[in-house]
Amino acid sequence: MDTIAKNWYDYLAKGQIMGLKCKDCGAYTFPPLTVCRECSSRNVEWVKMSGQGQLIMFSKTILPAKKFADIEPVCYGLVKLKEGPCFFTKIEGFSVKNDDDIRKENEKLPVPVTAEIQHVKDLDIVVFRK
Amino acid sequence: MAKRASIIGVGATKFGSVLETPELKDKTFQELVAEAAFEAMDDAGISPKEIDGFIVGNMLSHTSQIYSHATVLGDWLGLRFKGGFHFDTACSTTNTGIGIAWQMVVSGKYKNVLVVAGEILSSAPKAYNPLDREAIDATTLWGWTDFGVDHVYAYHHFYDVASAYGAFPTIGYMKKNHISFEDMDKAMCAVNKAVRTHSALNPKALLYEKGTLEEEAKREGFPSVEDYWKSPKNPFFAWPTRLLSALNTADGATAIIVTSEPEKYNQKMPIDVLGFDWAVSNYPWYGEDTLLPQDKKAFEGAYKMAGISGKDLNYLYVHDCMQIHQLTLSEVAGYIPEGQAWKYALDGKLLFSGEKPLNVSGGRHGAGHAFEASAGLETYEIVKQMRGEAGPKQIKPYPKIAAQHNHGYGMHSAVTVFRAGE
Repeated sequence: MDTIAKNWYDYLAKGQIMGLKCKDCGAYTFPPLTVCRECSSRNVEWVKMSGQGQLIMFSKTILPAKKFADIEPVCYGLVKLKEGPCFFTKIEGFSVKNDDDIRKENEKLPVPVTAEIQHVKDLDIVVFRK
Repeated sequence: MAKRASIIGVGATKFGSVLETPELKDKTFQELVAEAAFEAMDDAGISPKEIDGFIVGNMLSHTSQIYSHATVLGDWLGLRFKGGFHFDTACSTTNTGIGIAWQMVVSGKYKNVLVVAGEILSSAPKAYNPLDREAIDATTLWGWTDFGVDHVYAYHHFYDVASAYGAFPTIGYMKKNHISFEDMDKAMCAVNKAVRTHSALNPKALLYEKGTLEEEAKREGFPSVEDYWKSPKNPFFAWPTRLLSALNTADGATAIIVTSEPEKYNQKMPIDVLGFDWAVSNYPWYGEDTLLPQDKKAFEGAYKMAGISGKDLNYLYVHDCMQIHQLTLSEVAGYIPEGQAWKYALDGKLLFSGEKPLNVSGGRHGAGHAFEASAGLETYEIVKQMRGEAGPKQIKPYPKIAAQHNHGYGMHSAVTVFRAGE
């Protein structure tokens, strides 16, 4: 079996956002796993993701995870990818300094967002931007 | 094969801090677990000699400094040479343990199984000395706790528990049921009022000594609970979820004894384990609907095994690390009609004296959250309620059928159905 996680992060380092497409049921799995997340088939292929999605909701935190405790403030969002899966990650383009702004902007959702690759700490990761 | 599995004894320490709480101060992990186990044994009228199997839950070896829990605890619990092992489904652990114990005794291999768990979240031994502990800050504690979340992808993509487990399910519930923020905020205040009313009646609860939310608001100098709720003393943990809607961590231990021969032991009412089920799915990958599909599956499986529906329940305990889940899960359980739980909260129907009593020991905010031990305190409450031993927070008439749901971070769903025995 080929490595999955290393391949995915290596692709990101080269500027490519990849996922899996199931040859049996057609569902996308993002990020990639050893099987299709929907039907458990191992008959999957690597595909380039569109990088397009809709931001469904977002918020902030007053207790950031230990790894990101020195990066504040961060907008945390749930994105529905064009290919189907939802993905939780950092969102660029919204201010989370004011709770009233978080509320007002949430009331306008969903809005289109586009993926971008950022190098954060030790890894290249996928974030989305309005 | 045995025909039934019943709970005949429950035990729990006070939930608090081994650094400060008088009942817990300076106790080791082993002593906390033994205290809960001995209360359960005394409650059941059973001796360690009669217990032939035991299973132990504990999540943070960083603070207990144990990996081989059963071998260590066999000595401390009087259970040397008995069949024991460590098991783990995080914060649903003792709920899951009841199902494991059911299988151990119904198979006929074991007759009496002790399910026990302990957790210390206030502090860790300094330089490996168990008698010299130092406090842990929240960031360090959650750094360890977040090993419960996917660490290949999710954690490194700015995983955050407050928004993933508090804010998003709340926003999802508001959207689905067309609830304004103002109404949702009032409902969450009502939920917390019930939480604190219950914990103020539970001497084992972390916040017992702090009384009700109304008393706290008055102490803080606010004219009303609602003013206190919306004040800077209760900021948004992650909008629209406020700080008081989140868990409070605690140290503690709990124990449950499951037997196939309830008639042989105490004279108290045995509580039959009618059904259980578990389901898992990685988190925080929600769908567009922020309800977790594994919750529905676990409820359906447990109800099918028990031969009941959610409408048959007289009492429900759901996982409420974030109190929004009191509302979402009581609806998934079929205990409260879909989209109505927030109104039930506002109308005071979730109180022990209400139409649909929910989480009557104070939940993971009021009773406190000692990760793998917490589900045991919730089972403790169910057993006491069914027996009519719940004191001033007694549900009347005494519940005959109850269910308990727990999430194990993240995210294991465990559901167990109980019936008051003969």
